[in-house]
Amino acid sequence: MSIKTTRRAVLGAGLAAATLPLPAIAQSSVPKPDRIVVNASGGAMANLFRRTYNAEFEKRHGIRVVDTSPVDFGKLRAMVESGNVEWSVTELGGQDFVRAKNMNLLEPLDLSIIDLSKYPAAVRDTHAFPSSVYSTVMAYRTDVFRDGSHPKGWAEFWDVRRFPGPRSLRNHPVDNLEFALLADGVEPDKLYPIDIDRALRKMTELRPHISVWWTTGAQPAQLLVDREVVLASGWNGRFYDIAKRGAPVAVEWQGGSAKQNAFGIPRGAPHLHWANQFLQVMTTPELQAVYATELAYPGLHPDTVNFVAEDIKPHLPTTPANLEKQFWLGVDWWTENGQRAQEAWNRWMLRR
Amino acid sequence: MSSATADRRRADPARARERMLVMLALPALLLLGVIFIWPLLRLLSMSVADGTLDQFEKAALDDLYVMVLYESMEIAVLVTVICLALAYPVAAWLAQAGRTGFILGMFFLLLPFWTSILVRTYAWMVLLGRNGVINRTLRDWGWIEFPLPLLHNLTGVLIGIVHVMLPYMVIPIYAALLRIDPDLRRAAEGLGAPAWRAFLRVTLPLSLPGVFAGCALVFVITLGFFITPALLGGGQVMMIAMLIEQQVREFLDWNFAAALATVLLAATLVIYAALAKLTGGQGHGAR
Repeated sequence: MSIKTTRRAVLGAGLAAATLPLPAIAQSSVPKPDRIVVNASGGAMANLFRRTYNAEFEKRHGIRVVDTSPVDFGKLRAMVESGNVEWSVTELGGQDFVRAKNMNLLEPLDLSIIDLSKYPAAVRDTHAFPSSVYSTVMAYRTDVFRDGSHPKGWAEFWDVRRFPGPRSLRNHPVDNLEFALLADGVEPDKLYPIDIDRALRKMTELRPHISVWWTTGAQPAQLLVDREVVLASGWNGRFYDIAKRGAPVAVEWQGGSAKQNAFGIPRGAPHLHWANQFLQVMTTPELQAVYATELAYPGLHPDTVNFVAEDIKPHLPTTPANLEKQFWLGVDWWTENGQRAQEAWNRWMLRR
Repeated sequence: MSSATADRRRADPARARERMLVMLALPALLLLGVIFIWPLLRLLSMSVADGTLDQFEKAALDDLYVMVLYESMEIAVLVTVICLALAYPVAAWLAQAGRTGFILGMFFLLLPFWTSILVRTYAWMVLLGRNGVINRTLRDWGWIEFPLPLLHNLTGVLIGIVHVMLPYMVIPIYAALLRIDPDLRRAAEGLGAPAWRAFLRVTLPLSLPGVFAGCALVFVITLGFFITPALLGGGQVMMIAMLIEQQVREFLDWNFAAALATVLLAATLVIYAALAKLTGGQGHGAR
């Protein structure tokens, strides 16, 4: 028994030493923990993380990555405020990264470790690491709307006479208020500040035709597969996933609401240096390309696209032809007005 | 003097027994105090953390929260009534069933308990959808032409919650029925009461404590539901716990969430007390 253990330990150490690149040895002045905790969305995403970023980090630095989920802003706040931070790195859901920064819940990124020099200036931030892009888009059943006869844009989504059938939208004001304004003829660059009353008036028109207001990201895809609805809004990766597995579902990019996913380091996080090193691993374009190919959520390193196969590109929100049809969600407006918009939304929902 | 008192206390077996019981209950009470009462008090104190009653003013004056609280109570009452109607016969059957019947019945009753609530909710979605198992079967049999709206509305929410809550109603009623001396009913029938009158005048009143316990449990727990109405309601149903969760998780407005939680707790306690008084009185009358 003891011989076995010793042999395994020696083997492990040898392997680790063999795979350690030179710079990492030079950095050995920073003490190494045996593991760090990275918190992100669970499920299929966690598997992919393990195979890409976590595996690469473990290979480069010899530190084990423990993954936890789900992404939980309330928990982040509670951790930081109690001074008992478990996560070295955490994903920040939706539009939360601005709020997290404003509430002083994040450590500044160490940009001498994380190389963002090639990233577009618009997404570079002092506290939030721009990990990937996703988009809330319209999806439709291809057996109901054949040969490109589906609604192209939200004005047509609202047109229930030309495009009949039950629909589903998210039970949340984010994206929907924008979609309603676009349907009402507002130009994409004039969406903000959002006129909540006007948007809700437009929503009222469509309301009888929304048979389901979805709550979880898996719902809209499932609703389309079950023929519960023929049109739905949802996150592009979810539709990509079911289409890849043969469901008669496709995406219309026109009017899509693009936004970036972010990762950050909680204030007071353990192993700060290695947290930054983990984010640096996440900038690797080859790994971002694997991620984009599997989930259709491309990273923001400009070289990523070079490592993605041609037939995958039409499914990515960042492909130029797709990107020009979408608008960027106004994160600042939502950070400022989210609660007010949600209350207006709840009240509207209750009115029958 | 003091030693004499101590001797007397030690000599009194009833008191000694009582003291032992308190000691035995102490760990559980302490645990409850530490992991429930203390956090609860802290949560409640958060609602007045800014030194004013502004949070309560917002909760009370904003028609949104009042309406949702009212609607949640309505749903809780509906669920309680449906559960009672379904559970009483089941409990009555269990109380007189043989060993095999009892084990089988309990097994099916408790089976849902061992399944995650999320899994159960998704299972209902598969069954109740427009193209779900139930609608497809009814259409194949030619009983209906258009799918019944069973999901993404109040019907779906009620089905989902009743399914979860049923055991909470059956078990207390079953326990109450089991305690009733069968000779009482036999005596009533021996004195000429038909079976239905014996039930109404003897069994039912004596089982009321169980009915009350079941109703209270079901009502209180239902008020706090949020994942089932969120998924099965398809946005058509809003319950107060969903709004509290929204405030906690999405807006991090913990003070307002605490105020809403306090209002919910207070409303629950008031209704509970009223119910207790009502059924408590009847229970004594029957005795």
